Amino acid sequence: MYILLLVGYPFFLALYFSLSSVTVAGGDNGYVGLSNFLQLGEDPQFWTAFLNSWVFTFVGEIGKAVLGISLAFLLLALLREARSRFGRGSVWVIRGLIMIPWTMPISLAIWGWKWMYDPQFSVINRVLGDWLHVMQHPYPDWLGDPLFTRIAIVAVIIWKGFPFTAVIVLAGLTSIPQDIFDAAKVDGAGWLRTWHYVITPMIAPILFIGLIFDVTYTLADVTIVYLLSNGGPYGTTEILPTIAYHTGIQGGNLSHGAADALVLFPFLLIAMVFFLRLLYRRQEA
Amino acid sequence: MSAQAGARRPIAATGRRPINWRRTRRLTGLMVALLFFLFLAFFPIFFMIHGAFVADYDLIDPSVSPFWFSRPLTLTHLTYLFDHTNFVVWAKNSAVVSGAVVAITLVVCLPGGYALARLRFAGAQNIGIAIFMTYLVPPILLFLPLVQIVGNVFNLLNTKWALVLVYPTFTIPFCLWLMMGFFRRIPIEIEEAALVDGCNRWQAVWHVVLPVSVPGILTAAIFAFTLSMQDFIYALVMVSPSAEKVLTIGIPTELIRGDVFYWGELFTAALIPAVVVATLYNFFLDYFVEGITGGAIK
Repeated sequence: MYILLLVGYPFFLALYFSLSSVTVAGGDNGYVGLSNFLQLGEDPQFWTAFLNSWVFTFVGEIGKAVLGISLAFLLLALLREARSRFGRGSVWVIRGLIMIPWTMPISLAIWGWKWMYDPQFSVINRVLGDWLHVMQHPYPDWLGDPLFTRIAIVAVIIWKGFPFTAVIVLAGLTSIPQDIFDAAKVDGAGWLRTWHYVITPMIAPILFIGLIFDVTYTLADVTIVYLLSNGGPYGTTEILPTIAYHTGIQGGNLSHGAADALVLFPFLLIAMVFFLRLLYRRQEA
Repeated sequence: MSAQAGARRPIAATGRRPINWRRTRRLTGLMVALLFFLFLAFFPIFFMIHGAFVADYDLIDPSVSPFWFSRPLTLTHLTYLFDHTNFVVWAKNSAVVSGAVVAITLVVCLPGGYALARLRFAGAQNIGIAIFMTYLVPPILLFLPLVQIVGNVFNLLNTKWALVLVYPTFTIPFCLWLMMGFFRRIPIEIEEAALVDGCNRWQAVWHVVLPVSVPGILTAAIFAFTLSMQDFIYALVMVSPSAEKVLTIGIPTELIRGDVFYWGELFTAALIPAVVVATLYNFFLDYFVEGITGGAIK
């Protein structure tokens, strides 16, 4: 009941907000149908945010996959080595250190990044530019230039998420018996083929659930963008959650804010349906 | 446990010959890769630690390496936090909020999880899944209406109790799911044995089931804690008086004044809770993974 009240009721209220015209100041002007959504469609700011949301998530997901899967195999190999050599404790400590980006609350860990991107004292610019001379003057203004700000945000998204990808993939890998790897090897399958034909089909459900989780989380996360760039410069790095905040809370236009956020919902719904189907299929098997 | 338990068979020891070059090469490769990932994970944190201890001028002096220091290391950032900011108040608020959230979560999830795992009423399974689904409804969809509800219905806006009220929306679904899994793994036979020995159902749960599910309860508590420490959006929109703020929101709103970043204080203030949360989280990481993938592995 508690859940129903605290999630269900607000959710319908959000739906209602988005379909009517509510502002903090002016009260409620009643049902206005889909006009909030239609107005969104005409707002270039909305499309920027929409596009950014997807680009950040998509590019971030690719980065996380590449780093996370490599890390998972590394940890697997280490675990196997460690059993005969150093004992599990050492691997546990190492894993703990590598997991830091995921386990630390991002709203706290992000200050390290903020400092690295600082317009005046950016550590990145000092190392790559002043020391290694890889970059020429003028150095990138990491949080002041639309392109570099996007890169900066995606970098943090990837940094935050790759350990999660790694533990999910690792959970899948360790559920596969060693015999199957051996069999694949005997049959002459290379690394890529083993991954594609043997490992992926076996751990697909786990990968998929991990992916759903991560996409949902990344799409809906406001913290990284809010604290790094707050949508700037000039609104070029807004994402749907941040415009929902800006219009809904700071602009006081609850209806538009709710509509901004609800645009995400159909996609989350699709993710949920996939998730459910996976669960049920598993139960039948 | 899944990560460790999975490597079932040890690779046969190949180190019998004096020097095994292939193995050495392989190990070196592993170590290099490991260092790469350690570096990747750690470098932003390094700058936070560095900045927390060096003098302010060292941070902005171009002649000083950004990795090192020239003036003596200092604890002034720490003492400044304690003496001139509300850091202690925020930390207390964070503790109170998280503590209350943990309590609420457990009160709901223990009986709830047990009921969903054991009682075979129609659709128990579906209810469990439905509740877990609500975990996938992110705060960003709910925060606007919740602000209204908390403000108009409960009149708790701008107090930390607003957060106590809303955090369970994401801790309960996840912890309920975790507890359900835990209770399910406890064999029903031990309860039946207790019933046969003359306990009633309540006593069977209290004396037999609860003691063996302590690890599960602990896990649920830790996750309720870490999840509520990770929230940002609710704290941002619901609480603005300094004395009611929690850590995650007190730091960016009061250690940045206008354009001036109090870097040293910022890093120190962020590191303390971050290290606590990360450590706790790590102890229970395996359960977290299991909670997410649980439905898929078995």
